[in-house]
Amino acid sequence: MIGAEVRLRVAPKPGVPLAVPVLAGPVLAGQVLAGGTAGAWTGLAAGFAGTVGEVRDCATPEGRVLLLGAGQPQRGTDWEALGAAAVRAAGPVKRLALLARGLPPEAAVALATGAALAAWHPHDAPLRRLDLVVDQPLLVQPLWARAAAAVQGALFTRELTALPGNVLHPAAFAARLETLAEHGIRVDVLGEKRLRRLGAGALLAVGAGAAHGPRLAVLRWRGQFAVPPVAFIGKGITFDTGGISIKPTEGMERMTSDMAGAAACAGAMLAMALRRSPAPAVAVLAIAENTTGGDSYRPGDVLRTMSGRTVEVVDTDAEGRLVLADALHYAVSQHQPQAMLDLATLTGAMVTALGSHRAGIFTNDAALQAQAAAAGDQVGEALWPMPIGARHREDLRSEIADLKQCCAGPLLPDASHAAAFLREFAGDTPWAHLDIAGVRLDEKGLPTGFGARLLDRLVELYFEHPDRH
Amino acid sequence: MPEIAFVKPAMPKHGALVLPIAEDGVAAGLHAALDQASGGAITRALEAASFKGRKGQSATIWAPVEGISRVVAIGLGKAGEINAEAAEAAGGATYALVAKERDATVAAEGLPAPLAAAFALGLQLKSYRFDRYRTTEKEDDKPKLEKVVFATDAATACKNAWAPLRAIAEGVFITRDLVSEPPNVLHPVEMAERCKPLEKLGLTIEILGPKEMKKLGFGAFLGVAQGSPVEPRMVVMQWMGASGSGTATAKKKPAQKPVAFIGKGVTFDTGGISIKPAGGMEDMKWDMAGAGTVIGLMAALAGRKAKVDAVGLVGLVENMPSGTAQRPGDVVKTASGQTVEVINTDAEGRLVLCDVMHYAQERFDPRFMVDLATLTGAIIIALGHEHAGMFSNDDTLAQQLAAAGKPVGEAVWRMPLGEAYDKQLKSEIADMKNVGGRPGGSITAAQFIQRFVNKGRPWAHLDIAGVAWSSKDLPTAPKGATAFGVRLLDRLVADHYEG
Repeated sequence: MIGAEVRLRVAPKPGVPLAVPVLAGPVLAGQVLAGGTAGAWTGLAAGFAGTVGEVRDCATPEGRVLLLGAGQPQRGTDWEALGAAAVRAAGPVKRLALLARGLPPEAAVALATGAALAAWHPHDAPLRRLDLVVDQPLLVQPLWARAAAAVQGALFTRELTALPGNVLHPAAFAARLETLAEHGIRVDVLGEKRLRRLGAGALLAVGAGAAHGPRLAVLRWRGQFAVPPVAFIGKGITFDTGGISIKPTEGMERMTSDMAGAAACAGAMLAMALRRSPAPAVAVLAIAENTTGGDSYRPGDVLRTMSGRTVEVVDTDAEGRLVLADALHYAVSQHQPQAMLDLATLTGAMVTALGSHRAGIFTNDAALQAQAAAAGDQVGEALWPMPIGARHREDLRSEIADLKQCCAGPLLPDASHAAAFLREFAGDTPWAHLDIAGVRLDEKGLPTGFGARLLDRLVELYFEHPDRH
Repeated sequence: MPEIAFVKPAMPKHGALVLPIAEDGVAAGLHAALDQASGGAITRALEAASFKGRKGQSATIWAPVEGISRVVAIGLGKAGEINAEAAEAAGGATYALVAKERDATVAAEGLPAPLAAAFALGLQLKSYRFDRYRTTEKEDDKPKLEKVVFATDAATACKNAWAPLRAIAEGVFITRDLVSEPPNVLHPVEMAERCKPLEKLGLTIEILGPKEMKKLGFGAFLGVAQGSPVEPRMVVMQWMGASGSGTATAKKKPAQKPVAFIGKGVTFDTGGISIKPAGGMEDMKWDMAGAGTVIGLMAALAGRKAKVDAVGLVGLVENMPSGTAQRPGDVVKTASGQTVEVINTDAEGRLVLCDVMHYAQERFDPRFMVDLATLTGAIIIALGHEHAGMFSNDDTLAQQLAAAGKPVGEAVWRMPLGEAYDKQLKSEIADMKNVGGRPGGSITAAQFIQRFVNKGRPWAHLDIAGVAWSSKDLPTAPKGATAFGVRLLDRLVADHYEG
């Protein structure tokens, strides 16, 4: 288990700091607390408006009580934000109780979800235990089990993404993925030999310069339905120097997180396995280190991808779309998925376009796009539709190969170019591409795990109806 | 601009004959007559050229009969699927093939009046040329087309369909001229002067200078202007088509609140003290395309006597570095009272728009407000050159704009707004900074503008930096100034705000 453990209780343990959500207006969640403490709560809350962001830290005979302004929460994400605020307000404590009595079970679960996600830190996370105080633990427990699976998926994604490039090189990434087998996920890691046999010329070229060769990791969750799987395709560049088209020094250290897409796909698989999802899924993760070396691929090289299409390399720093091309083709040809989503920290253009508050979604299937966006909204991972225009595809015409990998020059719509490129390898499969370059890290530079919960929720909402099979 | 006429079908005695042909179309009218007169030469030639009438296909047959110097067959696509856009594109493609003729006849018997008019519009829009500074071009190299006659049995219906389109084409040409003019010629004072002739169309034109702006408290606008020796201008154009502009009953009390269009008109943008790199700086002559578009739009609305009350306001200014120029770090006070810390003097467009938009709302209380601006390079990185970026606080207006743009080939793509983006503008010393950093650069620009939109006012911002100028030929525009926005906004008005 990663992060703080969450346990359900009917009453707070004396001495454990207790976070009490206070709704705006006269309603006080704490008023429903058992025993004779209701009066005490009311007293503590005198003059407390309950607006979002408001905090009152009180010392009481039973221990520390944190009143938290909850405003008028309407959506799960509002309660999640409140849970996160509780953890922030508590400071460096080992154990924290969240008062959720009188709340609907969904709200209680969202409160704990937000707290558990906020309690995570790659090396400095004192909070080990969260007590979720509810009226009827038995009623909340099954909901929490589902939510906890998604939290584990997201935290697994974050742990992987936080690892530096010397620790999480391609071989180490593959080894970490192999540990998912203990949850019932079948893990198959294809090395260079098998990739060569498959003709994965793009993935092999991108990984050629590094000491640890590229891998294609295939994660399978069988589920129960006898239907084609949903496929998650992830970009897993464990470190991206840019290769021969090397990046400037400034900010290069953040390229340790250039595998966040693959990590999110793996996290979603873990979430599905932990909650025993009935829907079958497969994740195809293209793992490589893009670095400089005598064996590195060059601008001007022409690569033959696994699909047979040839690609002219223009910029070795546009490597993500190349490894994804082979991964997408592998997924389509080997697994015939009913729908396919790729996640990638793909372009700087995406950051310029949408900043760090939304990821861009590109698609060949309007329904899948709407579903992904709805799932993202529910878990606070917002998407915004972006276009693939005819001109974007035209711009990729090559004089020497079937298509160019990207264009060169200033002010280019590179995120759309990349999406137009990827679409060529999706074939007729309903496909969506999520460019998560702007959202993979938070304002402190820590991984968000963006995508793991979104994919898990997408499956839960749209691929688990019994009538789908 | 070649003259367009619609007349009863008669075989032309000279010039070119254009045959618009649908896939699997049957030869009729002039087409059939010519085929017969030439002993079946037309049919044989089109077969030899594998011409099937597909969209984008064309074939030229030279002098098949005496008098006619060339016959141009142009594909329309499948008969059931020919819409105005396809007819415009066919008209545009036709222009290049007949430009060297003095006159051309289009055998339009098979085209319903709206499609014949659309064909004419496409042809005329594609004929645009900005050549007033070419002094040594040989006569032979210039286009010669003076007149295009459409042969049709529905001449009256065609003329009626054409009249408003002609006004739109004229509006588009006004915009393209303004956008194409070099910056030493078209400075703020000159650009304002060029609005005056539009009074002939029934528009009321007011021109405000720095004195008036100072009185109005345009601190942000004037801050941008202070580096240039040329004075800034704001032009206010009013077309009261619903209240009787251009008629005897003019000047009665307006029937309703007007719609408002606001344009950024930076006649040249060096970036100011935050100066731009040299490569490509010449493109900054078209940093006034938003204003140019509003001017052309107002001309189009007036030219076709649109039944709408509309106001157009443009802020005209030159952004130059000099001893008097505004500096990064300056704090300016806008007309709305809000203060702005200028971080980057090259984010000047929003400083102009904020004051003009505040004024527009105070004075006209418009039903909605659309601003157009070549505002950010970020929008080119986001969307490229096929869509303008659209930001709006109103879903209805946003949907209307998206729907209006599609059929006229001026597509917009909606981009997000949101509090999280707005926070990027936080300043330590003033109410806001004028830039929010690289991430989401177009969005933070829109957020800045939104801070000057009064609560509850429907508003849309079109960032046209990627579409105002085209480096390649488009179906109905030669490369260069596109006038993107004139037709889109004219259509918006026609679809929802007239009558």
